Order: sequence, then structure tokens, then C-alpha cells
Amino acid sequence: RQYGGYEYSQQSGFVPPDMMQQQPYTGQIYQPTQTYTPTSAQSFYGSNFEDEPPLLEELGINFDHIWQKTLTVLHPLKVADGSIMNETDLAGPMVFCLAFGATLLLAGKIQFGYVYGISAIGCLGMFCLLNLMSMTGVSFGCVASVLGYCLLPMILLSTFAIVFSLQGTIGIILTAGIIGWCSFSASKIFISALAMEGQQLLVAYPCALLYGVFALISVF
Amino acid sequence: MSAPGAAAAGGSGRSGATADWGGFEDNMQGGGSAVIDMENMDDTSGSSFEDMGEMHQRMKEEEEEEEEGEAGAAEEEDGEFLGMKGLRGQLGRQVADQMWQVGKRQASRAFSLYANIDILRPYFDVEPVQVRARLLESMIPVKMINFPQKIAGELYGPLMLVLTLVAILLHGMKTSDTIIREGTLMGTAIGTCFGYWLGVSSFIYFLAYLCNAQITMVQMLSLLGYGLFGHCITLFVTYNIHFHSLFYIFWLGVGGLSTLRMVAVLVSRTVGHTQRLILCGTLAALHMLFLLYLHFAYHKVVEGILDTLEGPNMPPFQRVARDIPVVSNAVLNTTAKAIALTL
Repeated sequence: RQYGGYEYSQQSGFVPPDMMQQQPYTGQIYQPTQTYTPTSAQSFYGSNFEDEPPLLEELGINFDHIWQKTLTVLHPLKVADGSIMNETDLAGPMVFCLAFGATLLLAGKIQFGYVYGISAIGCLGMFCLLNLMSMTGVSFGCVASVLGYCLLPMILLSTFAIVFSLQGTIGIILTAGIIGWCSFSASKIFISALAMEGQQLLVAYPCALLYGVFALISVF
Repeated sequence: MSAPGAAAAGGSGRSGATADWGGFEDNMQGGGSAVIDMENMDDTSGSSFEDMGEMHQRMKEEEEEEEEGEAGAAEEEDGEFLGMKGLRGQLGRQVADQMWQVGKRQASRAFSLYANIDILRPYFDVEPVQVRARLLESMIPVKMINFPQKIAGELYGPLMLVLTLVAILLHGMKTSDTIIREGTLMGTAIGTCFGYWLGVSSFIYFLAYLCNAQITMVQMLSLLGYGLFGHCITLFVTYNIHFHSLFYIFWLGVGGLSTLRMVAVLVSRTVGHTQRLILCGTLAALHMLFLLYLHFAYHKVVEGILDTLEGPNMPPFQRVARDIPVVSNAVLNTTAKAIALTL
């Protein structure tokens, strides 16, 4: 039998303000109908197996985007598109950090903890600084994502350090070049995403300090 | 009381959420707003959190109802229990909802604490040209001390200089294989540099307050921060080129210039000879001694030792202390200790 309140509302046309946003209730009160269920698919556990989205899509890992962003980092002179950093993607940076740790491991340095700690503190610092320096704010995920992607040239440096020692003159020049490459890419992406023209050097310098610390781990 | 219980028992088989209201039908005939609220709460607009709760509630009540059916307890007891359980189920969801709201409120309050950082926003509004100009100015002592000199109250340049000093210190510690017993290299470097910048700034600000000098805290932070530019240059050069006399030349020349600049600015903002003497003497002493400390405490390898090194990656214990020029006993002792530790 109908619940008293509902009957009242359906007959007299008086709708309490809370119900304005919802669809009109068309079913029986004791049977859940399709209008009752949520629109998002993931919480409706009784759905078919074929209706579920693919795993990678559900996790938010989009290989094509990851590849695009990687290419943007690797071409330092290519103009960056400001919208590529709209979606926060931490899968790529996670892979790059692990690869960095793995190349350090191949050189005999077990320093995953240092990589984790420095990247966490560095991301936090850059997040605070960029929020203070830009007109529009920036989210922590965006900062972590950009800094993670721009770690890719550092992986090249630590791969080089497996075979050759970086403590000679060539090592110093190579390290300086790679730090410059990383920080230039990172500042380029930040500036295009946050519309901070004319301040590229100001953004690049803290990035250079952060990547310099990573380089210190690779070299020594 | 058995009627609502029976109605609840009958209805709970179908949908646990809506069956709970069966118990209230007889009690609230007028359809008071409280009842409608609970109903609306269940009619969620797609929030998966509440639907999860409802799903679990439904599954829990279904299996509990099966258990109760098997137990075969007294009808009244069961009825009452089910009625109360129905109430509890609804209450459980309300509690969960309230917890979610409270959690969200707390998180947003904590996040609005972030808004306090916005106080610092105007101090970071700089152009690269301005920063470069101020860096160069920090090495040039002003001549006119008769009227107050302008100090740029920005924090970007000083912050970057302190971080650069941290990086240089780390580099110096790594090249000289410094061993820090309690703590990490990074922690020591950050602690030293930030501690100096913030601590000495506060101390000099306090002295300035005592001596009636016209300077604000941000200006003091800015002044001392830019004064670290000389330190950065000196340490960068002398951590890589190891001549003792070169260090002393840089210490007096570059360190002295930046100290003179800071002292001149402070003198222009203070009246009275005694006050000027106290303030500027303290600042000059602290600034010069800090540079001395940084050189000797974090770069233990003295020049004579390094001259014997031929290639990179020489293990530490192979360094032999020969042909060391006359240095202070403290340095000699600490070097000997470091070598002994590595053996």
C-alpha cells in the first residue's frame, strides 16, 4: 500500500522543496524501479559483466595520453598545449619514478626511499610556490603529474651512470644539461597550463633545484 | 506494538530500505516533515556512497531476516526486535550521512587554512628582471646613509637563494663524503640554512625593535635572504676549487661586500650611534661567522689531501693526510676523526 506521505503529495500536487530536483516517483513504494538506481555504473553491482567498462578505462589509464605527454616532455622546443594537463594522471609519473629507482638499483644504489621522499616534498613545495605565484590556482595532482613526467630525462642520466661514472668533467656537463632539460620542460608545461608568461625563468629555477637534488642522488 | 512489527516483517523481504517505514505508518499519520526527510534521504540522486549503504543494508537485513526465521523466536520479541532494527538501519544510514557531512566540513575547514598562505601572495609577485636587479644590488653597498634606503619586501628571491644554499651545501657534503651521525644530509642542510635565515632574521628584528630601527619583519627576511647571495657564490667556488687562501679572499671580499650592503641599509634606518653599533655589529659578526662555519663544518677535506687524489671514486680510507698546510687544530682533529670512522 502506498505510503501516506507520497499519496498526499501526488494527489494534491504539493511537492516538498527537496523533491523538486528528483524525478517523479512512478513506481510502487516497495519495489525498487529503474528510476531509483543511480546513474553511475560502477556501484550497481548487479549489472552484467559485459556492461562494465574496460579495466584501464575504469582506472583512468589512457596509454595514448601518456604517450602524448611523454613526447611533449622529450621535445624541449616543442610548444606545449595547455590543456594536456587538465586531467590528473599519476600512472605515468609513478612508472617513471619506479623506473628511476630501478636504474639506480642497477647502479648499486638502493634509494627508493630517497626518491619517494624527495619527490613528495618537492611536489609539495612546488605546489605551494605555484599557488602563490599564479593568478589561477593549481591542484596538487597537476603539479605532481607534470613534475613526474619531466623526470624522464633524469632516467636517461641514471642509465648513463650505470655504465660510466658521472664524476668527471663529462659527467658534470651531462648532468647540467639534463637538469636544464628537465626544468625547461617542466616550466614550459607549467607556464602554458597556468598562463604565466614572462615568468618561465622564475618557475624553471625551483624545478632546476628539485631536479638537481635528483641528479645528486644519481651522481653520488 | 506487534502490528508495526508484523508489517515490518512482512515488508522487509522485498526492500529493506522502504520496509522500515512500515513501522512508522501507524505512528505518524500526519506525514510530518521528519518522516519525509528520511524518505528523501533514501531517494538519493545517484550518490554512490548512499547507494552502497543501502545495498549493504538490504543484503544485511535479508540475511538477518533469514537467520531470524530459522531461529523461530517469539513473534512479539522478533517483531519488536525487527521494528527496532528497522529503526536502527535507518539511523545507521543517517549516522553515516552525518559523518560524511562532518568529515567534509572538517576537510574544507582545514583547506581554508590554506587560505592563510594567500597572505604571502603579494610577496611572490615578481618579474625575472627585478630579481636579477636585486641580486646584483645586494653586492653593492649604498653610499647614502642619511635617509632610509628602500628595501624590496619580496620573498621569492630570498627563498630561492636559501634553497640554492641548501643545494650547494648538499653538493659540498657529497663531494667531501661528510658523514652525519645523527640525521640525514638533507635534513642537516635544510635545517642549517633555513634556521639561519629565519632565526637570525628574527633575532635582528628583535634587536631592531630594541634599537628603534625602522624595519619590518618581511624587509628583514628579504634583506638577509639577498645577503646570502654572497655566501652562495663563495661556497660554490670554494667547494670546487680548494685553495685556502682563495677562500679567505672570497670570505673577505664577497662576504664583506654583502655584509656591508646590509649594514649600510640598516644604518640608514637607525638613529643613534650606540644603536647603530649594536645592530650592525651583531649582523656583521653573525653573517661573516656563518660563512666561515659553512666552509669548515661541511667540507672537511682540506686542500692538501685532495691534491693527492687522482681519479674519481677513490674510497675514503685511501686518503692520506700528508702535506697539510697549517690549519687550525679543530679542522685537523675532525678530519682525523672522519678518517678513523671510515676505517
